[in-house]
Amino acid sequence: MTILEMTSLVENGLDRAVELMALSARNSFRFNDRNTVKIISVQGDELEQIAEYCFSLGDMSPLAARDGRNLVQLMKEPSALMILGEKRKSDFNYNCGACGYRTCAEMNKAEEVESLTANGPVCMFKSVNLNIAANAAAATAHRLGLHCRVFSTFAFAALSMEIITDVDIAVSVAVSAARKNPFFNRHEYWTQEHWDEIFNREFPTYNRGFIGAVED
Amino acid sequence: MERSLKQFETDRLESAKAAARLILASGTTSPRVGGVGECSIHILDDPCDIEDVCQEMERMAEVKKSWGLFRRDAAMLRDADAVLVATTMRCVSDPADINCNMCGKLVCEYFREAERMPDDPDVAFRGPLCIFRATNIAYAIDGMISQARNLGIDYGVYWSVGAAAMRMRILPQKTGYALGVAISVTEKSPFRDIPKRYGEINQRSMNDRMIQRLWPQFRSIYS
Repeated sequence: MTILEMTSLVENGLDRAVELMALSARNSFRFNDRNTVKIISVQGDELEQIAEYCFSLGDMSPLAARDGRNLVQLMKEPSALMILGEKRKSDFNYNCGACGYRTCAEMNKAEEVESLTANGPVCMFKSVNLNIAANAAAATAHRLGLHCRVFSTFAFAALSMEIITDVDIAVSVAVSAARKNPFFNRHEYWTQEHWDEIFNREFPTYNRGFIGAVED
Repeated sequence: MERSLKQFETDRLESAKAAARLILASGTTSPRVGGVGECSIHILDDPCDIEDVCQEMERMAEVKKSWGLFRRDAAMLRDADAVLVATTMRCVSDPADINCNMCGKLVCEYFREAERMPDDPDVAFRGPLCIFRATNIAYAIDGMISQARNLGIDYGVYWSVGAAAMRMRILPQKTGYALGVAISVTEKSPFRDIPKRYGEINQRSMNDRMIQRLWPQFRSIYS
């Protein structure tokens, strides 16, 4: 067979692109040359579970719900989610104080605070290393012409659902080969009336000069 | 007309200054958490300004054993043609309000109430800082790195530069955390191949010892 259909071309290309993103994330700049970032890619059922989980957080976090809804739309066309994770304890011995402890040893000995989103306290340089890797992956996706956005909500979901294990903090890079960029200008999620209502509530001075007088 | 080496030297420095502006542009347009701008990037392209930072770094190297690497960083920085310092300002008092617990305080309310590190000489950054906000600086740094790579310019990233610049109070007052990117337009990257004891044994000190001292002596004796 010498003719390849566009769908298979795009899907195979997306798989290769995710592999290249993982490569550039792994080889990105990092402090102290410590390559400890854990990288996984999520597709299919697990992605659906992440979307449902985020959507179910609606009451607690409207942002997660919005992203969950976005992910459901995203999965209708070729897409993938890369999740990068990192441990929280410092192996740098910089003793810089950014975490709120005077030395790295003190921070590593401090009581671990667990939560759904991340385990703290986290070494600042660990976090910077992780996010430089995430940005390198995003830069590669951008150069390959993929639609791309970095999400912390999906990463938090993957962390609490134990899709990515053995890490304390995580960040995710979503890529898509959709016809329209699905990550920005997401106006399909609300009507004009809803948008106007929220806008008028949040920015009352835009339409009203004096906000002391409440009319209702 | 034949071009002089001196012309090449000035053009080289000019190109480094122009590149610093383009690298700043890429760092500025890199993503920000929640689309909220809070980073600033400052260019130091005057050799005297860079020297000031180097001297502050060397003073800081005396403070703690674990900051001994600042001496090496200062030696590398003296070879840089321009230095960019990226800062993050909201990470001190304006957490992202998503209760992510990366700072270990569980919710942003507790983070606001948490006691900050004192302004002591052995504290580089007065944490705890909002880690989620400070990830912006990672994006800014990688934006700069990726532009430097595209332009084919040698770069090095140093936290010592950010710490020293904060201590010198040359950055915006609200800065909580800063990192530096040094760039160089030279035939050999001054940020790679760093041997042991580079703080004392480097191009400059070797030049000073061998050529600047022995050659004049030789010349005055044998002339």
